[in-house]
Amino acid sequence: MYAPLLANRYLTSRIIPFIAVGAVALCVALVIIVVSVMSGFLEMVRSSGKTLTGDVVVSRPITGIPYYEELLKDIEALPEAAAASPIVETFGLLQMPYGTGDGGKQIEMVEVWGIEPSSLDRVADYASKLYWRKPAGEAGDESAEEAIASLALNNPLRDPMFHRESAGMSMKDDRGEDGLVLGIEISPFNQRSSDGSYRTIDPRTGAQSADYFLPNAGEVTLTLVPVSERGSLGGEKRRKFSVVNEFQSGLYQVDANRVLAPLGAVQAMLRLDSAPIVSTTEFGEDGRPTVIGESPRRATTIVVRAEPGVSALALRDAVKIAYQAFSSRLAKDPTRFTKPPLPDGVNIATWEERLADFIGPVEKERELMRTLFSIVYLVCAGLVLAIFWAIVQEKTRDIGILRAIGASRTGVLWIFLRYGLLIGIAGSLLGVLIAWAVVARINDIHGMLGSPAPLWLKVGSWLAVAGALAMAVRGVRRASALHTVLWSFLSIALSLISVVLLLHHGFLVWDASVYYFSRIPSSLDLFTAATTALGGVIFSVVGASIPAARAADTDPVKSLRYD
Amino acid sequence: MILAAENVKKTYHLGRVRVPVLHDASISVAAGEWVAIVGSSGSGKSTLLHLLGGLDRADADSGPILFGGEDLRRFDAGRENRYRNRDVGFVFQFYHLLPELTVLENAMLPALVGLSRLRWMSERSALRKRTADLLATCGLSHRLGHRPAELSGGERQRVAIARALINEPKIVLADEPTGNLDVRTGNGILDLLSQRHAAGLTVVMVTHDVSIAARAQRQVCIADGRIE
Repeated sequence: MYAPLLANRYLTSRIIPFIAVGAVALCVALVIIVVSVMSGFLEMVRSSGKTLTGDVVVSRPITGIPYYEELLKDIEALPEAAAASPIVETFGLLQMPYGTGDGGKQIEMVEVWGIEPSSLDRVADYASKLYWRKPAGEAGDESAEEAIASLALNNPLRDPMFHRESAGMSMKDDRGEDGLVLGIEISPFNQRSSDGSYRTIDPRTGAQSADYFLPNAGEVTLTLVPVSERGSLGGEKRRKFSVVNEFQSGLYQVDANRVLAPLGAVQAMLRLDSAPIVSTTEFGEDGRPTVIGESPRRATTIVVRAEPGVSALALRDAVKIAYQAFSSRLAKDPTRFTKPPLPDGVNIATWEERLADFIGPVEKERELMRTLFSIVYLVCAGLVLAIFWAIVQEKTRDIGILRAIGASRTGVLWIFLRYGLLIGIAGSLLGVLIAWAVVARINDIHGMLGSPAPLWLKVGSWLAVAGALAMAVRGVRRASALHTVLWSFLSIALSLISVVLLLHHGFLVWDASVYYFSRIPSSLDLFTAATTALGGVIFSVVGASIPAARAADTDPVKSLRYD
Repeated sequence: MILAAENVKKTYHLGRVRVPVLHDASISVAAGEWVAIVGSSGSGKSTLLHLLGGLDRADADSGPILFGGEDLRRFDAGRENRYRNRDVGFVFQFYHLLPELTVLENAMLPALVGLSRLRWMSERSALRKRTADLLATCGLSHRLGHRPAELSGGERQRVAIARALINEPKIVLADEPTGNLDVRTGNGILDLLSQRHAAGLTVVMVTHDVSIAARAQRQVCIADGRIE
């Protein structure tokens, strides 16, 4: 019964064990933070991929799927499917309203999605991706203006520059014409703040400016090139659009490259809209070829959302069967001049399969990070070993006393193993808490790094320097070398921190253009936290085992002579 | 005889150098006797005490050390631990208390060593009371919750004596018990041992001070590792 008593007393009555607990805590926290951010990154890739494309994607690039409205009905009738939406995917050129300085206008190469907002919202939560919202309150109302300004500061989704009455999913401008929704990162004047929100900045003054705010009055020109079934290029189609809003998917590459346009407008520009089919042998009285049918509208992609509880794989299989039935039915219909592509010519895949090329490497990177950072466990074991070696050295005489009063070797061994176990448990729990605190507030911490230090912190740090210096002088006057050295070191450290705070104007660690996402993942990976904490405990015991065995082998007579 | 050593030899090895410390030392102690082993520094008296207490092992060609007829050389690890825990009690010159424990905990430590968790659960309060009573007889009832660092040298040695007595051993082995104390405090410690001896305890005490050895019933002189 003496082992628990001594292990607990050794843990709570000395400084060294707290250093060991701190070392284990930092090792555990480091591993959890790194792997949690990686896991969060992976999860964000997954969720972003899913919300942008739904669970299953049916795609037939370039020429598209005719009679897609019927296919949509077939798919939505499936018990596995909650909703489906047609999309036309293509690439195009976007001429921005601002110039390049040499007389020309900025042109961006973009990925264009022709969409149906209402059905896409059911599949991929489109409305929630729209960035700018109309502020509450009436213009001219002073209190409302203040509220608007306050909202604008505190909520990036409320901006006083956004005046459109038709805010929401509508892709019509104030004149009722078709408009575009651009990815938030396409305009170079949309600057991301350290808190992750966007402001439109005048490049000359750096101040917030409505002049460069596209969703109010910005007009852009979209150029698309239709491609025939045989692969030949048609003449390019150019059309002016108002910018009615901007969207943020959270995936930087999408936000920097994608433009959303009304489905009908894109179909028309790509010649994927409905068109009459004329006879090459029959002509009317006016000499024109006789119309014998109609070529249907086409969509290159259909995104499908699964019912809750239905897996993407199950939905994919159901959609494949539905497409086979659709294709077979229309192929047998003699009234249809245009036949849908055979099932082999259509790609039907889950969102994970579509993103496999991206998700796979990220998953491997996470495992690599997990493995590499597991080396930290060895550091943890090494630290515990070194600290325990010092503790056993210090406790040599105590060990001799215990052996002299009849303690067994295993009893002495158990004291130090138990001691290591307690340090491992305390350190691991503390490490999990530190990791949780850091991961949960990682974007706030990043925001602090990205902003200049507040005045009170700067003044406070210099006051702390003055206080530490005064204590160091006091140590000199009292002829205390320890106090003088400790307070001097503290003064130097605080001075360095104060200088850094004074010179610090903020720097961006997490660059969205590099890391795809505008925010750092901030959820704790519970599996990693549990396994890392367990690893911390195990390696603490392993680190303690060698000094513990040395303690157990200690000759009591030699120990009692030890000073 | 409760304790006897016959032709005991002990040699230390300092690297390749052999340092013989005890040469055929023989001593016998009767039950209830108070024996003082007297010798100058380096004469081998502490080594002999360590061998008698089972803290150290004699040379392979040494004679036996017998406790109640049992040869200590034949003790396995478990019996050796029990011997040190229950049959003998040690008192050291430098007290050797554990600084993290209170006076009460230090004194009951040998009892804790000998107790299983189950017995500790059932005997906890009884053991605490027994230890407190023992410390009270040593004049330490007001110091139970104090740490060793808060005690005087004499008080620390009293705690060490209480610790040696807590398991009611048959023999107390005291190694210069007053060596670190002033004369008056040292006499107090010897009085305490004397009281216990009067109650039937066997005491083997090592000292270099002849006047202190005079408090024992019998003095055994040792010089250069030989009993004279």
